[in-house]
Amino acid sequence: MSSPALDQRAVRRWLSGLTSGNRRWIQGTVAAGTLAGVATIVQMVFLAHIVHLGVIEKASASVLAPFFVGLVLAIVVRAIAQGAQAHLAAQCSQQVRRTARRQIHQHWRNSGPLELGQISAGSLAREWIDHVDALHGYFARFLPQVALSLVVPLLILALVFYLDWLAGIFLLLSAPLIPFFMALVGMGAEKLNQQHFETISRLSGQFLDKVRGLTTLQLFGQTESAAQVIEQRSDHYRKITLKTLRVAFLSSAVLEFFASVAIAVIAIYIGFGLLGYITYGPSSDLTLFSGLLILLLAPEFFQPLRTLSQHYHDRAAALGAGAEILARLGEVEPPEPAASAEIEDHDNAPMPPASIAHAETIEFRAVSLAFRSDHKVLNDVSLVIDKGDVIALTGPSGGGKSTLLNLLAGFLTPNSGEVHLFGKPSGSFAFGWLGQSGFLVQGTWADNLRLTSPSSSDVAIETALRNVGLGSLLDSREDGIYSKVAEDGQGLSGGQARRLSLARIFVANYDVILLDEPTAGLDSDSEIFVLEALHKLALAGKTLIFSTHHQALLALANRVLLVSAGEVNDV
Amino acid sequence: MFELKPWLKLIYRRPGRLFVGALLMLAALLSGLGLLALSGWFITETALVGILLAASLPATINLYVPGGGIRFFAVSRTVSRYVERLYNHDTVLRLLTDIRVALFRKLAATGRGQRRELTGAQWLSRLTSDVDALDTVYLRLIAPAGLAAFVTLLVFGLAWLLFNIQIAVGIALILSAAFLLATLVVYVRTVKTSSRQSDQQEALLMAVVEHLEGFAELTAAGRTGKHGAWLLRQAHQVSSEQVKADSRTGWHQAGSLLLVNLAAVFALWAGFELFRSGIISGPVLVLLPIALLGLAEVYNMLPEAFSKLGATQASAARLNRDCAATRHQAELEPIKLPADTALLAKDLTVKHPEHAPLLAHFNLQVKKGERVGVLGHSGSGKSSLADIFSGLLTPSSGGCTSLPCSYLTQKTVLFEDSLRANLLLGAPTASDAQLWRILELVDLAQRFLTEKDQLDTWLGNSGSRLSGGEARRVALARVLLSPASLLILDEPFTGVDAATREKIIKQMDAWLEGKAVISLAHGPDALPGTDRVVQLTI
Repeated sequence: MSSPALDQRAVRRWLSGLTSGNRRWIQGTVAAGTLAGVATIVQMVFLAHIVHLGVIEKASASVLAPFFVGLVLAIVVRAIAQGAQAHLAAQCSQQVRRTARRQIHQHWRNSGPLELGQISAGSLAREWIDHVDALHGYFARFLPQVALSLVVPLLILALVFYLDWLAGIFLLLSAPLIPFFMALVGMGAEKLNQQHFETISRLSGQFLDKVRGLTTLQLFGQTESAAQVIEQRSDHYRKITLKTLRVAFLSSAVLEFFASVAIAVIAIYIGFGLLGYITYGPSSDLTLFSGLLILLLAPEFFQPLRTLSQHYHDRAAALGAGAEILARLGEVEPPEPAASAEIEDHDNAPMPPASIAHAETIEFRAVSLAFRSDHKVLNDVSLVIDKGDVIALTGPSGGGKSTLLNLLAGFLTPNSGEVHLFGKPSGSFAFGWLGQSGFLVQGTWADNLRLTSPSSSDVAIETALRNVGLGSLLDSREDGIYSKVAEDGQGLSGGQARRLSLARIFVANYDVILLDEPTAGLDSDSEIFVLEALHKLALAGKTLIFSTHHQALLALANRVLLVSAGEVNDV
Repeated sequence: MFELKPWLKLIYRRPGRLFVGALLMLAALLSGLGLLALSGWFITETALVGILLAASLPATINLYVPGGGIRFFAVSRTVSRYVERLYNHDTVLRLLTDIRVALFRKLAATGRGQRRELTGAQWLSRLTSDVDALDTVYLRLIAPAGLAAFVTLLVFGLAWLLFNIQIAVGIALILSAAFLLATLVVYVRTVKTSSRQSDQQEALLMAVVEHLEGFAELTAAGRTGKHGAWLLRQAHQVSSEQVKADSRTGWHQAGSLLLVNLAAVFALWAGFELFRSGIISGPVLVLLPIALLGLAEVYNMLPEAFSKLGATQASAARLNRDCAATRHQAELEPIKLPADTALLAKDLTVKHPEHAPLLAHFNLQVKKGERVGVLGHSGSGKSSLADIFSGLLTPSSGGCTSLPCSYLTQKTVLFEDSLRANLLLGAPTASDAQLWRILELVDLAQRFLTEKDQLDTWLGNSGSRLSGGEARRVALARVLLSPASLLILDEPFTGVDAATREKIIKQMDAWLEGKAVISLAHGPDALPGTDRVVQLTI
């Protein structure tokens, strides 16, 4: 992460970028808030006037009655404006959050699966959901309140100056100090708040990790020590947070102090003025009406600022969350144009000039890739694979088989050299992929297969499942392909779960299918099903490329490549 | 409301803190009310005296008591508010730790078979959003509502004392309506949306995690855009529900403030009657309506908190449900373990609920130091059998007893922690030298010696910086490290290439000298050295 000061500015720019399409909502919120403020002023005017008339001039009930009607009307208008303000604010934040989510998702797609796989899905999902939701307060409350805390106090100040300029000066003197102090205090709070967000995200990641591995902890008898670790970390988090709060609350305390003191000073000034003890300035003109009105308006003068300071943590939270989001957005440079070119629509991806790339082969041209500078996984690899070939990649684990597959998939970009599949850059069209860990979603068998092939028929789905040997299991389930499959292989054995993941590839009609150890961990039954299915795909003219150590799979291939020590050679 | 009970019990374990916190809140509130009401009284009093003085009539006024009072309230409002907020947030964070740890311990106390099977995404929201909803129950709900009720009572008493009982009752009635509107009505009007919202949010989180976990396959199929758009629509739907609830809450808040203001108007109107008949003085007439206006601050906090009560209840209900053991299993007669035996299984039946049994009448006796291989197809109940051997799962019938054992589960589970911490789970007191020796045994020593951090190398998300085979070998090393005299290894070599596997098997033989080992695999070449092999048949 870059320096916090720079982050700050970038985050604020990002946040204001999000508002650009939603100004209308913010303006509406401010307008409603201003109306509520004006109604409040009118309410206080009526109130002070009624008290003055009744107490000093001993007016009768019939004289006071119209003023009471006015008072009630002002109160009603105030309530309606407040309600409208809340409504508009909620609308505004909803629009902004949608924009932010769209941006983040776009970034995920630009990063690619390999980069994303390095980050826990939980953290990313939290960013997408919770961090974006953390922007809510900023747009719904803080931003409109910034405008309101300027407009409403100014209106009140003007009125107080009109009533008694000395009291107005009291208010004026205390007011500019407040933003100054708040800015000072707020700066510290923000830095701490950002740290606070990082801690939360790390903490929940670790907590989840412990719960997910609870069985393992139970097996090793380590649950109690894990509980203690959770307690320690939680307590550590409490201390960090308190440090944030001690400073963050100072801003509202400062404000509270100025507001209280200003009210006290004004009350005493007016009291003494009314007694005639103050012989200079405008105080001789004070009446119970003007004195009481100034007193009633004084808290309302500070109220928008107090509300703002209550919402200050919304700003800090949004900046904290925004910094995290922005750090993620900036973490991965968009891949080279070759790899990122239009992932959206694989069906009609524009063909790049195929002058050098051959449309009937898969080509590696002088491809090199290193994750660590001292260790090249692939070193100047050139390779041509014909369409319809069945290629087995073999070699020691960690030798670069997975890397080769990832390059073919376009999940990795080589440091140098080019990878072309049938004249198109890797990753620019739909293909079959089976990673080392299969993936299932909560839902039915059909949901799982339609995830990647949404238009496939029930028959096709059932055929695909039978192709990978899940037919008998399907028959034992009441609702066939519409019965539930639990996530994470629970309820399915490891072999079965993997075969379901494999079935997804069989239901789709891909030209190229990449499989990372398709038979690892399968029993001999499953192996036979998988081999048969792969065989069928090969007969259908698909190009299959898989990494394997398995003898039967090696036999299935019409070409075996040894990937070892940065080189790829035919066996 | 009963779903909150166990959590409230946890919260009320700190009665002292809660009481002090509530007192501080009360002090802050009363200071604010006092400042305004006293100032109003003071101004009216001085206005009246001022008129008398201006007319050169004799009049006296005590300036010191109200002046001192105003100054005192000004300071006490600031100080008590600051201290109260800090103190109560500390309380909340302590509660958060309490709840998290209690939850974890509860979970740890249930066996795997009893634990509800939740996905990672569900756990994530349980442990964060649901727990967070509970820890603020006191600060956001109970304390403010209690204080609002208490302060309302005080105002009622004040009105009775200064005005009369009829006016006091009138004010109390209006305020009660405001109180109900800000609490109960808001709750009733939002409970449906807000409890549904947690579920929706959870479903959303789960969908996002699934989306991310399947990102490679989705990218390959060119479906990230479409599936992502679907996710965005889901998210938008969730937030539009939230908008509906927020805006409803806003209207109720405005309504309750309207009523509080009307109570002040009523007090003023009724007060004038008493004033005209000389029962009360002008300053007292002003004091009560101003105090009532100040009451708005107390009521202002309530609607938002009560709009979230539905969600909080739903959170509590979910946590209760997921921590509870799902089914009680009949206690089986314990089998006595003969002296020379490491594991004895008698007449076991393995079955998933509502399915035909996978295995029936299974018997196995493993002597100390004996190495037994168990072979079976996937779906033959191999992993369930291993779970029963290790005591994780209770068999549907029959019995199993064994020496304390160390168990390598079929699924590789590594923690987001250092390599060292992951290995030390198996033997918390192992030295670095021992760790290197075991890494050498699984052929990983060279791999980690070249890493910058060596034993402190961080194993990323579920060890994803390791290849599948490497992660498997770390998990194997951890089990081998354990001092237990019985090891259960379920598919120990998943994802490990043949050459490495041969190497490890050879070295394991010497290492496991004297220990009983039960290895389960799909084929004979995936087994380490064995004395005999049992074949599972369907």
